[in-house]
Amino acid sequence: MRTTPKTTLQDVLCTFCASGCDNLEITYEGRVIDSARNGCAISVSRFTTADRSRLLKPLVRKGGKLRPTTFARAIDRAARILNRAKYPLLYGWSQTSCEAISKGIELTELVGGLIDNTTTSCHGPTILGVQDAGEATCTLGEVRHSADLVVYWGCNPVHSHPRHTNRYTVFSEGRFRRTRKDRKLIVVDVRKTDTAKLADRFIQVEPNGDYELLTALRTAVNGEEIEQDTIAGVRVETVEEIAEMMMECEFGALFFGLGLTMTSGKHRNTEAALALVKDLNYVTKFVIVPMRGWFNVAGANEVSTWQTGYPYAVDLTQGYPKFNPGDTSAIDAMTRGEVDAALVVASDPVSHFPREAVKHLLKIPVIVLEPKRTPTSEAAEVVLPSAMLGVEAAGTIYRIDGVPLEAKKVIDPPLGVRSDVEILDAMIKRVKKLGARR
Amino acid sequence: MPELLIRNGYVLDPLNGIEGERMDIAIKDGRIVESVGRKARVLDALDMTVMPGGVDIHSHIAGAKANCARMMRPEDHSRDTEAKTKYTRSGVGHTIPSVFTTGYRYARMGYTTVFEPATPPLKTRHTHEELNDIPIIDKGCFPLFGNNWFVMEYVKQGRIEELAAYVAWMLEATKGYAIKIVNPGGIEAWRWGRNLRHLDDNVPNFDVTPRQIVRALCEVNRLLNLPHAVHVHPNGLSEPGNYQTTLDTMECARDFRREGRTIMHVTHVQFTGRKGWSWADVRSGAPEIADYVNAHDHVSIDPGQLIFTNVTWMTADGPAMFALFKLAKTKWFNADVEAETGAGIVSATYKKSNYVNAMQWGIALELALLVKDPWKVYLTTDHPNGGPFTSYPRVISWLVSNQARQKLLDKINKTAKRRLNLPGIGREYSLHEIATITRAATAKSLGLESKGHLGLGADADIAIYDIDPRKLDLAREYKAVRKAFAHAAYTVKDGRIVVKKGEVVRSVRGRTFWTKPKVSDDVMKTMMTGLASKFDDYYTVRMANYPIEENYLTASQVITTSAGV
Amino acid sequence: MADLAITVVRQFRIPITAECISPDSVAGKSLREIELTQVWEGNRRVKLGSLFRVAGEIGRTPKDCAIKILGDVSAVRRVGYEMSGGSIQINGDAGMYLGERMKGGTITVSGNAGSWLGTQMRGGQIEVKGNVGDSVGGSVRGGSKGMRGGTITIHGDCGTEAGAWMQNGTIRIKGNCNIYAGIHMRNGTVLVERECQGRAGAQMTGGKVIVLGNAGGVLPSFQFEEIRERAKAGDERIPGPFYVFSGDANEGGKGQLFARVPDNPDLKWNERYLER
Repeated sequence: MRTTPKTTLQDVLCTFCASGCDNLEITYEGRVIDSARNGCAISVSRFTTADRSRLLKPLVRKGGKLRPTTFARAIDRAARILNRAKYPLLYGWSQTSCEAISKGIELTELVGGLIDNTTTSCHGPTILGVQDAGEATCTLGEVRHSADLVVYWGCNPVHSHPRHTNRYTVFSEGRFRRTRKDRKLIVVDVRKTDTAKLADRFIQVEPNGDYELLTALRTAVNGEEIEQDTIAGVRVETVEEIAEMMMECEFGALFFGLGLTMTSGKHRNTEAALALVKDLNYVTKFVIVPMRGWFNVAGANEVSTWQTGYPYAVDLTQGYPKFNPGDTSAIDAMTRGEVDAALVVASDPVSHFPREAVKHLLKIPVIVLEPKRTPTSEAAEVVLPSAMLGVEAAGTIYRIDGVPLEAKKVIDPPLGVRSDVEILDAMIKRVKKLGARR
Repeated sequence: MPELLIRNGYVLDPLNGIEGERMDIAIKDGRIVESVGRKARVLDALDMTVMPGGVDIHSHIAGAKANCARMMRPEDHSRDTEAKTKYTRSGVGHTIPSVFTTGYRYARMGYTTVFEPATPPLKTRHTHEELNDIPIIDKGCFPLFGNNWFVMEYVKQGRIEELAAYVAWMLEATKGYAIKIVNPGGIEAWRWGRNLRHLDDNVPNFDVTPRQIVRALCEVNRLLNLPHAVHVHPNGLSEPGNYQTTLDTMECARDFRREGRTIMHVTHVQFTGRKGWSWADVRSGAPEIADYVNAHDHVSIDPGQLIFTNVTWMTADGPAMFALFKLAKTKWFNADVEAETGAGIVSATYKKSNYVNAMQWGIALELALLVKDPWKVYLTTDHPNGGPFTSYPRVISWLVSNQARQKLLDKINKTAKRRLNLPGIGREYSLHEIATITRAATAKSLGLESKGHLGLGADADIAIYDIDPRKLDLAREYKAVRKAFAHAAYTVKDGRIVVKKGEVVRSVRGRTFWTKPKVSDDVMKTMMTGLASKFDDYYTVRMANYPIEENYLTASQVITTSAGV
Repeated sequence: MADLAITVVRQFRIPITAECISPDSVAGKSLREIELTQVWEGNRRVKLGSLFRVAGEIGRTPKDCAIKILGDVSAVRRVGYEMSGGSIQINGDAGMYLGERMKGGTITVSGNAGSWLGTQMRGGQIEVKGNVGDSVGGSVRGGSKGMRGGTITIHGDCGTEAGAWMQNGTIRIKGNCNIYAGIHMRNGTVLVERECQGRAGAQMTGGKVIVLGNAGGVLPSFQFEEIRERAKAGDERIPGPFYVFSGDANEGGKGQLFARVPDNPDLKWNERYLER
């Protein structure tokens, strides 16, 4: 009996969250991944359970049920759905490669639709904040080398980005900060999270009070008087102390997450945080870095921006790019019942969108490109099984801080399963062949 | 590939000494040849000027900072959109156009090669992704070295050979074209919120000076035999008076000059060509700088012409951007890159009525007019810092017509007009000189032997403009000059007609040029051992994942050189 | 005034962009020409006449045009874009971007209106009997220039960020208003007759926000100035008394926030700053 040899690959990039840990050591035999070392527990699961719940054959809905079909037939059905649609939405994109996203934009322009990615329900407000206030940021290595003050606001990296503190912040070793003692950690959150338990100072802010607290901090940093005794549940003396810590540090770094982007104020919360950091730069060195979630949501923003000018919620229905979240964004267009067909790539909106949006999504024809069975794939009209990026397909992704990295192909995808790039390419060709009517 | 014959054109080919002759140009297989067969397609260029396609030596079109600027400025795009057509993808302008639009707009002006002048090595994969997507033009990028930790340590220890090996490795790893220096040492100081102003200031924690960094990299450039000079953006950009630092920087590497080639190119000198102690008091340092350039052969410059419009400042010079943001009070973006460099972006508007803006506008023109040799001064706007690249035709009209300049001088801030030397300068560029500063000289400076000329074997990158200087008084008809350069009658890329009457009729793929100096194996080995021992300490990415593979470039074009080390 | 009636003939789901529904666009055209004007229905170009029945008379100049729209046009965007005169009356609900960059004339809506009403408005009048969405009289994405002239009156409730980046003009909300009324405003007046959800005047550099009901608190970047008997909104003098705050200190702002005393007991603590 011939056995395939065991191979170990070094310096493999993990494709789960956007931390960009690229020092994984993966051992595999044929198509079976035995182990994934040097990463967090989530990365182990990502690599070693790749074969679970896989979609293996192209499917189309016939007589109410999803039935296996050929790739060509599935592509044809998908192309017809998109060609027919007057307001199609192409959504997802955060768990696939930049090369695939580029194809997605090409397809969207061809059929005249909206293209949006998961930013829309995650860090969209961050980008909107940047569009008003700018941003003072850096790559993560700079934080590791220099930061003597780290602030986590409205995020819980111990759970969402398990290696963040080791690789980049309080437990990391940098050129100018060698140990934990060289840094101070402030955590701001509505409750004492596991990340808060690591903090030197934990500030409990009232839910939906972040904007007030950030404004108060700005006021203190700018040397103005705060007249309130308490702001969002925080005593003014504490506000002034924290402001002082921020002004006295040599290099401060503020990380923030959905606690700011998805609570009352949204893009004004992020704008306030960005403005606070800007104000701090008048007195010391300070940076701000958003905690992006999915491993290539930043890449989706990048590709979308360089090709259309806009980072998400791009409207290409009238032949040129337009951008206005609230109008051209996926959840809003879906909730208003405007979208008449959807293509979903490596995302599960049936599970994550608000109820009204899901109600409408279930009424329209949906094409899904996805490695694993999800509620969205179960509701689709066409399903195209795809390879997992960074495990079975290679491609470029962007880390939280905009550093581009190459995801490797470690093993082959299951037989007959293609990469997103191949699938989208075939769809573009078929759409062109069927002839665009406009 | 079909053959092409351009007939009856008035040809300007400065590199081959052709200063306006009626000639036919024959093209086959994407190159200029002696003759073609009877079946060749014929382009009649009667009464039109034929010159090599434009070569832009310095334009921020691609990469992390360009994209951050695009993302930050949706208001820049919403008023300038391009719908898709049969031949073109859709996109947006204005100061930071999206990638497809960038390629089309350059091609419409008859430009066929453009270089992105500042890319942070750690993020250069991003730069290449964008360059790959820019249609039509050939391109390349300059990686940044002037604040790099490895570089500063080699310089401090005097290990020039290893530094040379490191630069060679970096150029290959990043698929970069030339050595770029921005505010040497100053961006490292910005880690702590500080900056450096002069060549002999000390870089905190590294104990080296900008002078040492610049000199070492110039020496390396000579050792590696690189096709282009060291491309320098000096210290002091945000100081009101900074021209002396520019002169000192030019002078500091004079002893590294190369035979027949420059060793240093100082860029967008208008931004570092000011005299004075305060903003109210700024004067032109152009005469002194022009005198220096006129008297020395080791340097070249480009002015970075200012245009009175809304612009986006984007540069690796993070601290300078913060300083200027504090004056402009608009939007500010900053992105430091670990162990390497930084970036700063600010939105701004230049006004004729503003004293400093008017002075800068004048300084840029003075530089172009006072430097006598058009082979030493190249046309740029430091896009998008001085103005969008689509303003080049306007700049050309100012250079060829004193009347055009005087007209604008009457509209600018009156004190500026009084203090500038420009009103008294009557020089007018000939079309031949324009061809030199927009293509021939830039191609030569870049060391691109197949570009910027129409000799046999050259790449068939050709621009045909609907003006005939034999029939047109350029100085009087400057508006016609502007119009002609804004909408090329024809642009030919690699022998294919891509633009006709200012419209894109075909989209092709351009090549990405990069440099690969061949260093001796033992020096490389020593350097690599040292590099590997420190890489994980300095960076948050693994060394094995840092280099960019050649097949990452859609169409790679390597230039190898043999190094003297 | 010539009356042009544009009647909806079917229900719209897919967004329609119809900048041509505007006095400046229809003036001097024939009914037939107007019917043949191309509009966008999603990604398709269609004739206006396939979506609406067009009847009546058209004036020769914009000033002479009175357009009446009958039916639910909540899916129709950009009606009244850049209009300079004349009138538009919508008997139903209006869509997004109504009256964007308007220079003159009047728009009235009997029902509700969508977000981005009167974006970058420069003159004229808009009146909505029902509720409106977000960002009334505001700016474009990433821009810092909101409405700079004209009057917007909303009888119902208003969404977030009314008057964002406002440069001048007046917005009058007779109902309640969500958060961030007057955010980043530079000049002009936002008047809220009922309640604000809070954060009024955030990051303002000038102008005034007057709230007659409860203001939802005051931001910590505002300073209490005084109690004033009346607040001035254009020529109108509104009886108070009002707590008056100046801000936003973080923007070096000289704007003012007025909150009527009896409706804002949660602001009573500021009285300790009154000079004795």
